[in-house]
Amino acid sequence: MTAQLETPAPPDAPPRTPHRVPLWANPRVGLVVLLIALVVLFSVLRPAFLNTRLTLTPLQSDISVYLVVGLAQLSVLSLGHMNMAVGRMAATSAFTMGLVHDKLGAGLVLSLIAGLAVGALLGALAGLIISRTGVNSFVVTLAMDFALAGLITILYSGVTGGVAFPAMPAGMSELRSDTFADYCIGDVCGPRVPLVVPFAILAALLVGLLFRLSRLGREILMTGANQRAAELSGIPTKDRIVQAHAVSGLLAALGGFLLAANNGAFSASLGDSFLLPSFLAPVLGGTLLAGGAVSVLGTVLGAALTQVIYKGLNLLQFQLDRLQLYIGLVLLAALSLDRARHVLAERRGNRA
Amino acid sequence: MLVAENLVKTFPGVRALDGVSLSLRPGSVHALLGENGAGKSTLVKLLTGVYRPDGGRITLDGEERHFAGPLDAQRAGIGVVHQERNLIPAFSVAENIVLHHLPSRGGRLDKRRMRAEAVRCLELLEVDLDPDIPVSRLSVAQAQLVEIAKALSLDTKVLLLDEPTASLTGDEADRLYTVVRRLRDAGHAVALVSHKLEEVFAVADTVTVLRDGRSVAQDAPLTGYTQAQVVDLMVGRAFASIALPDRTVDGEVTPALQLSDVSTALGHRGISLTVRPGEILGLYGLVGAGRSELAKAVLGLERITSGTVRIHGRPARIRTVGEALHRYRIGYVTEDRKGEGLFLDQPVSRNIAVTVWRRLARAGLVRDRSERELAGTYADRLGIRISSPRQPAGQLSGGNQQKVSLAKWLAAECDILIVDEPTVGIDVRTKAAFHELIAGLAADGLALLLISSDLPETVGLADRIAVMNGLRIVGELANDHDYPRMSQQIIRLIHAAETVSAA
Repeated sequence: MTAQLETPAPPDAPPRTPHRVPLWANPRVGLVVLLIALVVLFSVLRPAFLNTRLTLTPLQSDISVYLVVGLAQLSVLSLGHMNMAVGRMAATSAFTMGLVHDKLGAGLVLSLIAGLAVGALLGALAGLIISRTGVNSFVVTLAMDFALAGLITILYSGVTGGVAFPAMPAGMSELRSDTFADYCIGDVCGPRVPLVVPFAILAALLVGLLFRLSRLGREILMTGANQRAAELSGIPTKDRIVQAHAVSGLLAALGGFLLAANNGAFSASLGDSFLLPSFLAPVLGGTLLAGGAVSVLGTVLGAALTQVIYKGLNLLQFQLDRLQLYIGLVLLAALSLDRARHVLAERRGNRA
Repeated sequence: MLVAENLVKTFPGVRALDGVSLSLRPGSVHALLGENGAGKSTLVKLLTGVYRPDGGRITLDGEERHFAGPLDAQRAGIGVVHQERNLIPAFSVAENIVLHHLPSRGGRLDKRRMRAEAVRCLELLEVDLDPDIPVSRLSVAQAQLVEIAKALSLDTKVLLLDEPTASLTGDEADRLYTVVRRLRDAGHAVALVSHKLEEVFAVADTVTVLRDGRSVAQDAPLTGYTQAQVVDLMVGRAFASIALPDRTVDGEVTPALQLSDVSTALGHRGISLTVRPGEILGLYGLVGAGRSELAKAVLGLERITSGTVRIHGRPARIRTVGEALHRYRIGYVTEDRKGEGLFLDQPVSRNIAVTVWRRLARAGLVRDRSERELAGTYADRLGIRISSPRQPAGQLSGGNQQKVSLAKWLAAECDILIVDEPTVGIDVRTKAAFHELIAGLAADGLALLLISSDLPETVGLADRIAVMNGLRIVGELANDHDYPRMSQQIIRLIHAAETVSAA
């Protein structure tokens, strides 16, 4: 007993080996496996799934749209925030693009820039309100979503007298219908990849660069990891919150633009379907809702997975309500599997 | 009678209690004394079921007890008033008093019985309070009495009071102690934790003194001691002084940090202090004296309402931590390293490099390699044990975490460093290494403001010691490192201030 009392406090425990997740427990690997399995399954059930013109080309367009929308959500998930207004920010930006083209006769590029600017401003506004008032991002962006939904209806009926602009800037229809196969240099033509795909790839690369390598992105992540500690380390956390939300708004606007290109119209209902997929892509890909860590590659895979499931079930001719039921079930299963795999890996890691 | 035998309680990295015994007898007031961190609050929490002991046993009237939680202890007859307020402001006095055992009839709150029970408890104290008004309308002193009434509901035999008069005026404290004496005379066993020795000597019968988690006096009659002897017991005569490199401070050189007559929105008044390059100024005080808040005011996190802050002789208006860091090179090692100091899930490399991304960035981009190299450099220099710079900071031991939290300011090349409770929750050996490190930084020419509630640490390290109490500096002493003398002077300064503010 006395000997025990004399014992000095234990020296530092030897540092544990850093947390390394085995390959099979990496959520990205799981997604790739699941993705391949589903593609094989759907192709066996419906060989039309591998039809380039009917399925694969439109699928790429859809993935592009929802990848960008997923990245819009990822930008604020990095902070542990949410953007419930992704859809309406996209719609408001799309309205701006239509307006600038319709009333000022601006071309494609100028319209796009105007729309992106409005998206970024809306995001910045949300970020500003969140950082100044301290109100939860969920509440702020949800309120913004409501306000914008009303505004969009008023604007469309006031400006167009309907729910869509009658005309699109020149070049939009090519974005919709063409693939690189339609452009040839001599005899060499491009692959059957829709023209919207490079937009999404560029967006993913830039967001990846932002969070992997830039000081801004790192400071946003640190703000998400522990805002108080970030503040006390000299990071202007309020500015970082505004900037992350601005990036989110900008990407939502780009997603809106790509969807408008796919649909062939700037319409009031654009973006109605953005909210759930915007969370699915990053969260399936391993981005935490808690903030502090993001995965762009995971978001690419998550967006691909969701759209493959959607397209596959569609081809199997599920009715829309059933389609949603099954998509919900498949995603729940995927998330649970992912979680189970992760827990198992943690346990093994601890025992080793 | 409540008896504790050989209680042991260990927290990660520290042994908070190391074989402490004590007995609380009916009809007697027992004082529990000790420095900050001696283990008093831990002991109170063990006796009231908040923590479970790692060793030893607790018996109540001869029967061994294992409390499942605070409510269990209260049902057994042990009531407690903790340091923190535990009342619900919107609830009535009666509701607060019987909060944990609201009487019901047929699933509905039995208001009549609730009120009767509350009135009974208030009558025990012989205080005249309306049980129906909400607690939010009471004064601090009245609320404190409600806390005691709450602790007395459920037929309490043993009552523990942890710093019950910390926020009361002298008159209010007197009235509270009248109540305590009355409870004692009614046959309750009372334990009293307090820093105010005058009060303790006026009301207590027996005393237990804790130091570094052990009892240096146990269940002794208080009449056998003078106040000075008790202070000696608290701080310890046999103090091994901290061996430090010899430093001389140039008293002529311009102070790196100088506060003149600074007042803050939080209520600090007339704060003046100076720290010169190569000097360690100790800022000693009890918890709640307003030291960390003062540091945060210097960093621009709290508003300074009057007075001037000078950095290297030039008046400075600091509005953000970023400004303090990048423009004035002031670093702040926080006392709350998990909440404010570290990003626990993030790699060590990022935890260290967070303050220098500005410098590492080329065209806004930071390479992972430059960040890891920087982290490696400081890990070597401070002896931080990591298996890889990619290791999350949360996996490190307390001492290594604290070093990481210091490293980011050294990486940022700060020349003024405010170090707030640097060794809280750190084991003895790492503590010594940390003290050497801090002294070494001063020898390198950094100006250090050492905020500490650890008396040996303050006396061992500081060149001068400013003593703070109640948001004011109550005295400044040149430190001759004669521990018994210095510690007595410091404790007298604090107690003198208590008496003055109580009068």
